[in-house]
Amino acid sequence: MRPARMNKIRAVILDEKVDPVIRQLHESGLVELYDLSTKLEDPEWNALMTPAPSAEYGRNVASLTIKVSRILDLFSNVSVGEKAGLSGVLNPKVPAKKKLSFSSSEEIISNVENVLESVEGEISEPASKLAELENRKTILEMLKDSVKYLSGFDLDLKFLGEGSYTYIVSGLVSQENMSELESSLEEATEGYVEIVKGNPVNKSEKEQKIPVIVATLKQCADVVSAELRKSGFERLDIANVEGTPSEIFNDTEKELLGIENETKAILEKLNALSKKWTEEVLVLHEVLEIEKERAEAYSMTGKTERTHLIEAWTPKKHVKKVQEIIESASEGYAVVEVSEPDEPVEKIPVMLDNAKAVKPFEMLTEMYAPPKYNEIDPTMMIMPGFLIFYGIMLTDAVYGLLLTLAGLVLWKRMGKVSNGAYNLGYILTLSGLSTVFFGILTGGYLGDFMYQFLGMDIYTTGFALVNPLGESTYISAAKPLLSLGGIDVNNGPMAILLFSIVAGIIHLFIGLTVGLKESLSKGSVLDAFLNQGMWILLILAIVATVVTGNMMIAGGAVIAVIALCMIKGFMNGGILDALLGAMDITGFLGNVLSYARLLALCLATGGLAMAVNIMAKLLGDAVPVIGILIAIVMLVFGHAFNFVMNGLGSFIHSLRLHYVEFFGQYYEGGGKRFSPFKAKREYTSN
Amino acid sequence: MVFENPLLLGAIGAGLAVGIAGLGSGIGAGITGASGAGVVAEDPNKFGTAIVFQALPQTQGLYGFLVAILILFVFKSAPEWAMLAAGIGTGLAGLSAIGQGIASAAGLGAVAEDDGIFGKAMVFSVLPETQAIYGLLVAILLLVGVFASPGVTTIAALGAGLAVGFAGLSGIGQGITAAGAIGATARDPDAMGKGLVLAVMPETFAIFGLLIAILIMLGIMF
Repeated sequence: MRPARMNKIRAVILDEKVDPVIRQLHESGLVELYDLSTKLEDPEWNALMTPAPSAEYGRNVASLTIKVSRILDLFSNVSVGEKAGLSGVLNPKVPAKKKLSFSSSEEIISNVENVLESVEGEISEPASKLAELENRKTILEMLKDSVKYLSGFDLDLKFLGEGSYTYIVSGLVSQENMSELESSLEEATEGYVEIVKGNPVNKSEKEQKIPVIVATLKQCADVVSAELRKSGFERLDIANVEGTPSEIFNDTEKELLGIENETKAILEKLNALSKKWTEEVLVLHEVLEIEKERAEAYSMTGKTERTHLIEAWTPKKHVKKVQEIIESASEGYAVVEVSEPDEPVEKIPVMLDNAKAVKPFEMLTEMYAPPKYNEIDPTMMIMPGFLIFYGIMLTDAVYGLLLTLAGLVLWKRMGKVSNGAYNLGYILTLSGLSTVFFGILTGGYLGDFMYQFLGMDIYTTGFALVNPLGESTYISAAKPLLSLGGIDVNNGPMAILLFSIVAGIIHLFIGLTVGLKESLSKGSVLDAFLNQGMWILLILAIVATVVTGNMMIAGGAVIAVIALCMIKGFMNGGILDALLGAMDITGFLGNVLSYARLLALCLATGGLAMAVNIMAKLLGDAVPVIGILIAIVMLVFGHAFNFVMNGLGSFIHSLRLHYVEFFGQYYEGGGKRFSPFKAKREYTSN
Repeated sequence: MVFENPLLLGAIGAGLAVGIAGLGSGIGAGITGASGAGVVAEDPNKFGTAIVFQALPQTQGLYGFLVAILILFVFKSAPEWAMLAAGIGTGLAGLSAIGQGIASAAGLGAVAEDDGIFGKAMVFSVLPETQAIYGLLVAILLLVGVFASPGVTTIAALGAGLAVGFAGLSGIGQGITAAGAIGATARDPDAMGKGLVLAVMPETFAIFGLLIAILIMLGIMF
C-alpha cells in the first residue's frame, strides 16, 4: 500500500570501467541517478573528488544529431499527403525494432557516420537542386510581380538603370502625389526629364497607384532619386532582363512552370528516398539521443584521479540486480555499497508499485499528486469506488456497452503505442462494464427506449430491480424497501438516494479509518482523535441510531463533536477559531450530502435519454412520411450527445468524489516521481 | 390554493427551469467560448479541447430542460406548488453555469499552455456544477412524491426551490475560486490538493440551501 521502498546505491568504479557500467545501467532502467554536483561543493567532499564533466564523445554525438535532425526535417517536408487515416489512428503500426548492439561510443559513432554517409550521398544532390529551384522560384516570382505593373509600356526593360548617358527608373506613385512629383522633377532637373505614365492600378483596396517610368540624364540621377523618395515612390527592382514587360512576363511564367515540373520530379525522387531511409535515420536519431543521455550522465558523477563515484536510487526489489550489473560490467573493478535512504523524505523519489490489474489507475492518483515517500498509496482504494460510482452515474446498459467497446479499442489498439491510451482504455473498459451492470439493474437501455417504441414497460417485469424515476416490481408504495424514521423507501429515487448516502458514509468511513491509522503512526493520539477519530465515532453513532431507532445517540454525538471541534479550534487559535470550528460539522455533512450527486447524475442520464426518446417520438408522429427518418436522426444524435456528455460528467464527478471527499480524510500527496535513467527505445532494441 | 388546472403552475415551473438555467448556461458557455476562440486562434489543433471545456457549462441548461420534460410529461400529477418550486430551484441553481464558465475558461487557458494539466483542469472546472446538481436533486425529490408533508403540497414548497436555487448562485463564487486554483495548479502541479480545499469552500452555502430545502420538504417545522 506504500510506494516502493528505495535504497541508495553508491559505487566507486575504476575509470576505464565506468563506461560499460553507465551503458548497462541505462539499458536496465532500474536506477535514478543522483546528481552529486551540489554535494561536491561541500569542502569536505571537494577535498576528495571533483565533479566530473560530461563525456568527451558527447560533442561528436551532438554534431551528428544536428545532421540527422536536418535530414529528418527534409524528409518530413517532402512526404506530403501521407497522413494516417482514422484506421491508422485506431490501429497504429508499432515500428519494428531494429536489433543493434554496440559496446562503445566509438563503435556507435563510426556506425552512424557510415550510414549517414550513404544517406547523404543519395540525398545531397537532389536536396541541393531542390533548394536551388526554390531560390530561383522566389526570384522569378518577385520579378513577375514587378513586371506585372509595367505591362502597359512598350519598352525594352534592358534600358532600365544607369546607361552611358541616361538614368531610367520604374516604379509606382500614388495618384495624389503625381502632379506634385512631375513639377518638382521638372524643376530639379531643369527640364531634362521624361515621365511616362501607365494605367492606374489598384495595389490595395483603397489606394490607386500609377506605374511610371522616369528617364533623366545620368548626372541628374541623385537629385531625381531624392525627389522620388520624398514623394513616396515605390521603386520596382528589375535588373538583368531583356525584352518588353509582356514578353518578360510570359517568359517568367513559362520558366516558373518548368520549375514547378522539375520540383515535382525532385520531390518525388526525395519522397522515394525518404521512404527508403526514414526508418534507418530514425534509428540513428534514437541511438544518438540515447548516447547523448549517457554522455550527460557523467556530469552527475564525482571523479578522483583514477575512479568515478556514482550514486543512484533504486527500488529495494531491484538492488540485487543493480549490484550484479555494476559488478559484471566493471569486471569486478568496483566497490558497491547499498544503504537505506539518507536524505529527507521529500527528496526520496516515489515509485508507485501496484499489481498489474491496478496499475493503470495510478494515472488517477498521479493526476492529483503522487504520494509522498512515507505516505500511503491510494491507488488500490480508488479503483473499486471509482468504478462503482461511475457505473451508478451513467447507468445505461447500452451506453455501458459502447463505452466498453471504446475502452477496448483504446486499450488494445492505441494502447500499443501510447501508455496514456493504454491506461485510459483500461479504466474506461472496466467503467463500461460497471455501467452495463448498473444499467441492467436499473432497467436502462437507451433510457426508456423499450417503453417508448416497443411499448414494453420493463419495470413491471422482474428484469429491473430499481426504476430510477419511480416504482418497479420490487420497490413500490405497496412494497417499500424499508422504513427509516418515518420515511418509507418506496420508490426508485428514494432507494438510489439511500444507496448514495450509505455508499458515501461507507466511503468516508474507509477514508477516515485509513487516515486514523496514518495519524497514529505519525504520533499524537490526540491529533488522530480530533482529525479522524471523532468523525468515525459520529458515523458509528448514526449507524447505532438507525439500528436502534433512538435519536438520542446521534443527537448526543453531534453535540459532542461540535464541542470537540470548538475545542480544537480554540487550541489552534483562540475564540474566533473556536466559533469557526463549530462549522466543521457542516463540512462533514456537506461531504456526506455530496454523494447525493450519485442519484442526481443517475437520473440525469436516464432522464435525458428519456427526453431524447420523447422528442424523437413526437417528431416521428408529427411529421408525415419522412418522420421516421427524422426520428432516427434525432435518436442517433441525441443519444450520442447524452452518452458523451454524461460519460464525461460521470468520469469527472466520480474523480471529484475521490479527490475532494475521500482524499480529504487522509491524503495529501506531493512526492517526487522516480524518473529512471533509462534508454528510450522505440525503433531499436539492444 | 388550488388552480383549476394544476399543470398551470407546472408550466410556469417548466418555463422557468429551461429559461433561467438556459440563461446561465448561455453566459457560461459564452465566457468559455471567448477563451476558446483565443486559444484556437493560437493553435487550431486545440479546437476539440475547447469544445470539451465549453460543454461543461452547458449541463445546467440540460438539467433545466430535463426538469421541464419531467414536469410536462412524466410527473404531471405532482403537487402544483412542487412543480413550480422544482422549476425555480433548477433554474436558479443553473446560474452556477456562469461560475463554471469562468472556471472552464481558465482551465482551457491552462491546457492551451500545457496539455498535461487537462485532467486537473477538468476536475476544477466541474466543481461549480455541484450547485446545479443539488437543484436537480431537490427538483426530483419534490416531483417524485417521496414527501407528502405540507412542505411539498403548499406554497411552502416554493421555499425549498428558492433555498436551493439562490444558494446555488454560490457556484459563481466557486467558479472564480476554481479559476484561480487552476492558475495556481498550472504553476505548481502539487498545489492541486490545497486548491481544491479553497475551491470547495463556497460550496458550503449550497449545502446550507440543500439542507433547508430538505427540512422544508420534510415539513419538520409545520
